[in-house]
Amino acid sequence: MRTLLLFLLYYLIVTPIGALSRLVRDPLKREWNERADTYWITPARH
Amino acid sequence: MSDLVLGISAFYHDSASALVADGIPVAAAQEERFSRRRHDASFPAQAVRYCLDQQGVSLADVSAVAYYEDPQLKFRRVLATLLGAAPTGFESFRETFPSWVAPNGKLRTVNRVRQELQSLNLGRVPDVIARRHHESHAMSAFIPSPYESAAVLCIDGVGEWATTTMWHGRGNELRPVAEVRFPHSLGLLYSAFTYFCGFKVDSGEYKVMGLAPYGTPRYAQVIRDRLIDIKPDGSFRLDLRYFEYLRGQVMTGAAFEKLFDGPRRVPEGPLTQREFDLAASVQKVTEEVVLKLARTARERTGESKLCLAGGVALNCVANGKVIDAGIFDEVWIQPAAGDAGGALGAAQAVALEHGAQRSHLGTGQDAMSGSLLGPEFDDDTIAEFLHAHAIPHRRLDSAALADSVAEALADGKIVGWFQGRMEFGPRALGARSILGDPRDAETQSTMNLKIKFRESFRPFAPAVLASDAKDYFDLRQESPYMLVVAEVAAAQQLEVGQTNATGLELLRLRRSTIPAVTHVDYSARVQTVTEAANPAYHRLLTAFKARTGCPVLVNTSFNVRGEPIVNTPHDAYTCFMRTNIDLLALGNFLLEKEAQPAWSEESDWREEIPLD
Repeated sequence: MRTLLLFLLYYLIVTPIGALSRLVRDPLKREWNERADTYWITPARH
Repeated sequence: MSDLVLGISAFYHDSASALVADGIPVAAAQEERFSRRRHDASFPAQAVRYCLDQQGVSLADVSAVAYYEDPQLKFRRVLATLLGAAPTGFESFRETFPSWVAPNGKLRTVNRVRQELQSLNLGRVPDVIARRHHESHAMSAFIPSPYESAAVLCIDGVGEWATTTMWHGRGNELRPVAEVRFPHSLGLLYSAFTYFCGFKVDSGEYKVMGLAPYGTPRYAQVIRDRLIDIKPDGSFRLDLRYFEYLRGQVMTGAAFEKLFDGPRRVPEGPLTQREFDLAASVQKVTEEVVLKLARTARERTGESKLCLAGGVALNCVANGKVIDAGIFDEVWIQPAAGDAGGALGAAQAVALEHGAQRSHLGTGQDAMSGSLLGPEFDDDTIAEFLHAHAIPHRRLDSAALADSVAEALADGKIVGWFQGRMEFGPRALGARSILGDPRDAETQSTMNLKIKFRESFRPFAPAVLASDAKDYFDLRQESPYMLVVAEVAAAQQLEVGQTNATGLELLRLRRSTIPAVTHVDYSARVQTVTEAANPAYHRLLTAFKARTGCPVLVNTSFNVRGEPIVNTPHDAYTCFMRTNIDLLALGNFLLEKEAQPAWSEESDWREEIPLD
């Protein structure tokens, strides 16, 4: 039962939100940027 | 009375507790040493009790409890990971999500810490404050260091978001400079290769480092081309298509296998040239990144000293390269560089906010007391233990003990050395050590097979009198915590000559005057010993030198494979009797194996200890 609920939660909620958010901006910033000089990030509050 | 802050790291691996008084570490220990479960991740109840007992205080005397990471922020990273991995991460979601949102789940870790402390009945529980994971590492690296100001680098797997951070420490202040965030992680890259080579993640990384000298880095270019994009300033990103840790509970999968010539090595299976070369390759790339990071840290802070922490700072080969490159005048590495040290750093962060000063500055020493911050058992307590169990022994004074042990070592005997306070951090530094003669090529295999009950491809580590270190090792600075690898000095190296030996057989060749501690590339993981840091150990090394001319001893942790390092006289005696250690020095008491009654146990203890 728990697995079924998690399955529904994952595919009905997490997956669409994940897909939509990636359309705007990958929350994990996975892409490589050959033109960038650096991948350093200035620390800020998350 | 001093302002006391208790630090806690828990619930991932290597749970620990640390107590600081006005910012100075006074007690610290990992829970595994008490529970006897290696890398124990449970709440460090026994370590907390020890820290408070050591100072004779209760929780009511502590002004605050500092937890080593921020669960709320970490949960946001977990959510972003789940969103980023969907729809391919259901397995990870099923395992991870409930553990966070359950009524007493990880999201409420701070509450859980408070409840666990309350259940100890050690007095009123003070405020529990969550610090950030990398801040805890950075504090543990800079605050106890002997430097007034320094650049600080923390490199690990992941805490909340940050995986690599650069800081600038000045006086009592530590300012964040820059960071690289998850999923891009040098620690996780190294762990992926650890997993792929058939070792356990978060514990087998040192084996990959030890395997590297057998290989050639023929995969290094593939790693640079496909797995990690490294910028000239050392910042980097990984190509997550080759890793599985966003989607599941393993590190690598089919894409990684395709890149590196087939499936991962089966754990405990035979080691082949491929694993040697994989280890050499990931080690080389790691060193390249760490060197670039160090150069950038120097440029961006202008400092001439560097402090290191985070799991990657336990990579003593990379540390040695940073020192050899001369980027900094000096480097100081937190001895508990992994997550256990986070307990200390979190406590120090809070102590600084309470007004603590770095009062050790000006002494020329760090504030770690040689990392000897664990439990101590005085001679009266040891005598009580020996008499209660009718254990045959001789009691000697300190000088006679050092002389007797040195004589036994020079005769090729293996000695269990249990003296003073236990070490904090993963290394045995001469308080809970097994010692041998480094001049004998057989010492390495004898200690491995008869005491550790393992085959090993790694030589043991040498402990050397600090004053003689330069005669034996090409070391640019002291290495009190065995976290720097250096080459054996040319004067001690021997010609190997023509040989057909390959792979692990190479370790059996005598290539220096101290073969038991010399790796196949002539490197050694050195600990320099001073009288100030550890008088008993220094006395023993001095006695061994007086007898043999050699100021070096083989030092390995006092345990068998898969077991935590011994803590109590009982643990030490049990390990002594289970193994082929010839002699045990328990404080000022000397126990000889031949004099001991026969040892028997109801069950096979080896089956109870999991493989590491």
